[in-house]
Amino acid sequence: MMMLQHGSTQLLCLTASSGVPLFTRGASKQLPFSVIGSLNGVHMFGGGHGVVLSSCETEGGGKVVWRVFQDSMMLIVVSGGGQDGAGDSKEDEVRLQRLLENVWSCMVLVLGQDELTNVRNVERLKRDLRSCFSLIDQLLEDRQEGILGNLTHCADSLLPPNPTLLQEAVDGFAQASDSEFGCLIVHGRIAAATEKWWRLAPPEVVLLSALIRSLSASGSASCDYPVFLPQGSPTVAHRLLRFQLLPGADVCVLCGPTPSLHSAESGMVGRFWTPLVETLRDCLAVGEHSLPRSVSLRPDVLALLLINRETRRSVSCVRTSTNRPLGDPPLPSKARCWEILKLFYIFSTTRYFNQEETLCVSPEERAQRANTDDFVLGFSHQPLQCYLVTEECKSYGLQTPQHQLFLLAPLSVPTFALRTVATQTLSDIVGATGF
Amino acid sequence: MATADARKCIDTNVCGGKTEEDGVEMHSNDCESTSSFNSSDYSDDLEPEWLDDIQKNGELFYLELSEGEEQAALANANQGVATNHVRFSEKEAEILTEQNKKQRCASRTKGEPALKRLARILRRKRRPSQRKPGAKDGGKENSALSSAPASILKNQPGQRQAVTVQQLKEVCVYLNPKRLAGSSAPLCEGGGLLEALLGVVHRASWSRGLGDPPEVRQEDRLTVHGLIPNSPAIKCGQILIGDVLVAVDDVDVSSENIERVLSCIPGPTQVRLLLETVAPADDSRAEDTSSVRKTKASPPVSQLVRLLWGEDTAELQMSIAHVPHIVMFLSLKLDSASPQEEEEILYQYPASEASGQLKGVRGIFLTLCDMLENVTGGRILSSSLLLGKQLVHVGYWKESNNLLVVGLPAERVPLLCLQTVVGDVVRTLKVMYGSLDRAFCQADHAPRLDHFFCLFFQQLIQPSRLRDGSSAPPTDVSGTLFLDGLPAVRWLTLPPEIKMEVDTVLSDFESSDFGEMSEDFFGLRRLYVILGSCLFYKSYLIANHLPKEDLLDVCLYCQHYCLLPLASEQRVGQLVIWREVFPQQRASTNNPGYSQPQGRHFLLIVGLRHFMQCVLLEAGGCASAALGSPGPDCVYVDQVKATLLQLEVLQAGVEERLNAPPAPCLSCADWFLPAARDRLDSLASSSPVFSKLAGAVRGSSGGSRGRSLFGERARRSSPQRSQSDSGSEGQMDAGTSLAPGLSPHSTPDSGRKLGGRRDSLGSGGSEGSGGSGGLFKIPRMKHPNPFFLGTLKKTLTERETEEMYNTMKLTSGAENTLFHYVVMESVQGIFIAPTHREEAQLSGSIHPQLIRNFHHCCLSIRAAFQQSLPARGRRAADRPQGWGLGPVKEHGVLFQCKPENWTDQRKPAPTMTYWVIGRMLLEPVPQEFYVCFHDSVAEVPVEMAFRLSFGLAL
Repeated sequence: MMMLQHGSTQLLCLTASSGVPLFTRGASKQLPFSVIGSLNGVHMFGGGHGVVLSSCETEGGGKVVWRVFQDSMMLIVVSGGGQDGAGDSKEDEVRLQRLLENVWSCMVLVLGQDELTNVRNVERLKRDLRSCFSLIDQLLEDRQEGILGNLTHCADSLLPPNPTLLQEAVDGFAQASDSEFGCLIVHGRIAAATEKWWRLAPPEVVLLSALIRSLSASGSASCDYPVFLPQGSPTVAHRLLRFQLLPGADVCVLCGPTPSLHSAESGMVGRFWTPLVETLRDCLAVGEHSLPRSVSLRPDVLALLLINRETRRSVSCVRTSTNRPLGDPPLPSKARCWEILKLFYIFSTTRYFNQEETLCVSPEERAQRANTDDFVLGFSHQPLQCYLVTEECKSYGLQTPQHQLFLLAPLSVPTFALRTVATQTLSDIVGATGF
Repeated sequence: MATADARKCIDTNVCGGKTEEDGVEMHSNDCESTSSFNSSDYSDDLEPEWLDDIQKNGELFYLELSEGEEQAALANANQGVATNHVRFSEKEAEILTEQNKKQRCASRTKGEPALKRLARILRRKRRPSQRKPGAKDGGKENSALSSAPASILKNQPGQRQAVTVQQLKEVCVYLNPKRLAGSSAPLCEGGGLLEALLGVVHRASWSRGLGDPPEVRQEDRLTVHGLIPNSPAIKCGQILIGDVLVAVDDVDVSSENIERVLSCIPGPTQVRLLLETVAPADDSRAEDTSSVRKTKASPPVSQLVRLLWGEDTAELQMSIAHVPHIVMFLSLKLDSASPQEEEEILYQYPASEASGQLKGVRGIFLTLCDMLENVTGGRILSSSLLLGKQLVHVGYWKESNNLLVVGLPAERVPLLCLQTVVGDVVRTLKVMYGSLDRAFCQADHAPRLDHFFCLFFQQLIQPSRLRDGSSAPPTDVSGTLFLDGLPAVRWLTLPPEIKMEVDTVLSDFESSDFGEMSEDFFGLRRLYVILGSCLFYKSYLIANHLPKEDLLDVCLYCQHYCLLPLASEQRVGQLVIWREVFPQQRASTNNPGYSQPQGRHFLLIVGLRHFMQCVLLEAGGCASAALGSPGPDCVYVDQVKATLLQLEVLQAGVEERLNAPPAPCLSCADWFLPAARDRLDSLASSSPVFSKLAGAVRGSSGGSRGRSLFGERARRSSPQRSQSDSGSEGQMDAGTSLAPGLSPHSTPDSGRKLGGRRDSLGSGGSEGSGGSGGLFKIPRMKHPNPFFLGTLKKTLTERETEEMYNTMKLTSGAENTLFHYVVMESVQGIFIAPTHREEAQLSGSIHPQLIRNFHHCCLSIRAAFQQSLPARGRRAADRPQGWGLGPVKEHGVLFQCKPENWTDQRKPAPTMTYWVIGRMLLEPVPQEFYVCFHDSVAEVPVEMAFRLSFGLAL
């Protein structure tokens, strides 16, 4: 009887004015056309009566979220929810809202805003949209461990052991490519980038990282890809040049008509990066830890996510369980740790900590966001820290003017010690890396 | 008819006055009779004042306010009472007609002695013929009146010799012509609109007949000859009999044009009346008016009470018309054969513009409800939509083929607690009507539902306005949401002795051994079985003999009608509620082997001053089956009243408990802010004990009160008293005086005691503690109860006291750091939190903020607990992926607060950080536990939880 499987998510895209379905992604079985039609229909009906439907929740954690972008494109996401009726409903809604934003940005990134807003030929648009599918699927599945940027809108970073060398190389490489925007991505995370790259809007940085990940997953050694910047230049395309330096390490620049892919590859990649192969290998060795070995984490930290609120960068890691004493309750698996970390991030930010990204989003989005149910605003005093004890582990979150730290600890750590663990971890990392 | 009502009003006064007199007379009655109430003394002559408020379906909602205690005496002597004793029938102000009274008589034959009934009918027959002011009524009432000159007449013939001065005054009244159309009552022949709309009785003929001085006798002057109860005129409290209506909204009126002028009022509006009044000039009169002014000066009646009385709600409704909110009951089964407009709407409220917009998109709700169940496999719970700039959350409740839709603004009700709010309102409706279908699908329920939902929305959207008449602190929306949302009732732990007494009195009542009043006495089958009852004192539950689910049902009803806050202020003179209820647990039991008797259940709530007792009765089963819709039975109501009067003796003890310093010691947030602390220290001779002796030191005014109280107590423990207390005879004494009239030979003793009590009323007035206070003293000294320091406090030295407090301190470390707590025990369905008084004693400017913040945070914590509940009991391995955070056991948030408007530019504002922690325990009994404490000491919440729950001895 149920059309959508538990836990699966389906994304529907229609034209806002006429309701013509453009594509559906996600879920093994597509929803019947009649359902898609009525999902769009209720929203349109409400619009005619001055009511904008934004989300809907069902028993068992099912969710539907509607959103119209630029008055031209309607995105609907339907999520099946879990089996238990354990509704982390609010958390789920935030995740889905974020997903819709990302999907729209991704469509703009690939096709440009003009093509999406002035639809002349629906069939052609449908064809063009196919080029976004791989990126959209990646966003939908969101299975890539250790990448939280889609959610946090903070660039996933990797702190290399010797950052200055890499920074110089990236700066030099970008300059030589006649560009101000360049970055080095290791294991899908930004290891170094030019200053201008960091000045891009955080969602753009996150999206470009995602694009680069999907491009490098295709296995080619280099590519030249036209991109629109959803906020920086939604109508004029730039070229994104990507070169694989080592498996897992890519360098890319955003540039104008010159240089050609070929000249850049032959002329500059070797010049700038060959001397740094060993440094790059060190960097790759840091791996998913994101933190250099010089930072010694306390043994009772299972996983952490550290966000720099000013630079909008984040570091995150999950530590593989080392030797734990017998008799302790089993630690959650690595995948589960990542999941808990994400959920705890959403939990804390929707209820207690504000995500002050209202500064850097478009006015339209700001209007939308202001309308979400702001539980945070109800507090008369400022929340600083929070923790959760669940059956699997303990989670702790703290916020300072500059940082937000979320960490997981095993159940064996006494609750009152969590605060010390968290503050110490924060000062350790910041002290060692200057993050 | 109008005057008949006026007479009843006076009738009510008399009775109210009698009760007002402290119930002492009742007690003496009690003492003489064998076990409990003596019916012949009490209810034979005076029929209960609520009798005429019973509705056709047997329901009764009778609420009568009382003046403050100090005003009570005054009120008896003048007309102040008349303005405040207003009757209410649940639906609307119903103008009683001869016809439906007769119907009622027919339906109310149950358990009423035939003679009494006859007398009542006779009396009633007489009523409509009397078209005279109340004072000229038949002999019996008249004699009653002469003893209590509670007359609303100003210009009584006998008092006209007083020198009077003519004055003009302006009075604003709120009129609603629409209500006229709604009520089926015909316009009275002489009164017309003046009577029906405004409630002013004017009889042209009287102006001549009543011997007015010739110079004033102008036929077309609109002299007020009477006021109709429940009418705008009487409610405003400023129109007096004898006044002359001069102008309405600046239009001069006379008996010639008044009907025309009034008929021009198109809709609900406020009009300004200009009245010529007679200002008294002599002394006795001066006192009179001063008291009138006094009643006016104190905000007359809070909006809440007006709302409960069913007064015109249009004004309240209008003030929230711009806030989108709606409730709709929609049918999912549409008969396509006869497509009519809005056919699917079975019920809808309110009819404002913003809600009209929501009503316009009901198609969305129906479609989503229909479709999403197939898509995601679960019923729809909620949806959020934007109405202009406002975010609205819509909650759904599907039952059979109908759908209940409740829309609320997000700024009032966060999505986190929407489901609780909707669930509660559905349960309340089910308790009241049995099922949603029955509630919504009967046409005659509509006005009642309107009232129901008006209360519902007012409480959620503008709670502060409801309470504005009273001195209640600014309401804390999250606090209300959180505390009302808990499946529990606020409990007050009492010292064991008092608790035992209370329980004994309740059990005595529940045994339904009413002596000669009981059906057994007449060899009849019992009308109702008392399933249990619970007792509230000032909104705290102090005793409960009901199963948890029944308790919650009853409590939901009380919460919805705001009865609990009502009783906490000294405003309830008398409250009688009777209605059929459908306890949810009993409706849905499917225990194999045992089935509940298929009876009907009735809820009887009686409130007297601060006490309120809720009784759940069962008809059918072992009692005789109920036929039709029986109204409240006088015997049962009187027995509950008797129980409450009996319990009033214990009031002193309960009050003492309320006045006692908080049991787990509390600190005020302001003390932890350096600046504030300096100030306080300079005030209160900086002592290290200061913060520990929280309540005791802070409430310096309370301290002096307490001292005088103890002083008095010491004085009273005279040799004679202590002798009688110490001996075995004293023990006997204890038993009898607590439940007066239990045994015949105790009469003299308790009589003496009551005499003493009256004396003490004269001196202190505060705690009619007389016998009970003295009695409790001895045993308490023998077994000091750590949670009840009332009497011990004085005898201990300061150091000892300090130690005492240390033992009661919940937090660890040298200083007490606990700010606030809430413990919920879900097996018994009760929760404990610091009493309102304890909160008030801590005063401070930050502290109330902190408590608001605490409650807001608790909403979130509890939501986290709730999310994980259904999944409990499964092993982690069974859980599917994407399963969420998992069951939350403990959740804490650290907050930082700064003093508001910090002016000092040079120094940064001092800050204070504190934790709000929630903990859910499943062992040994399911409990939820929320605390708020300063972060200077790291706490182990589990330990605190255990300390708290054991300490409070739930």
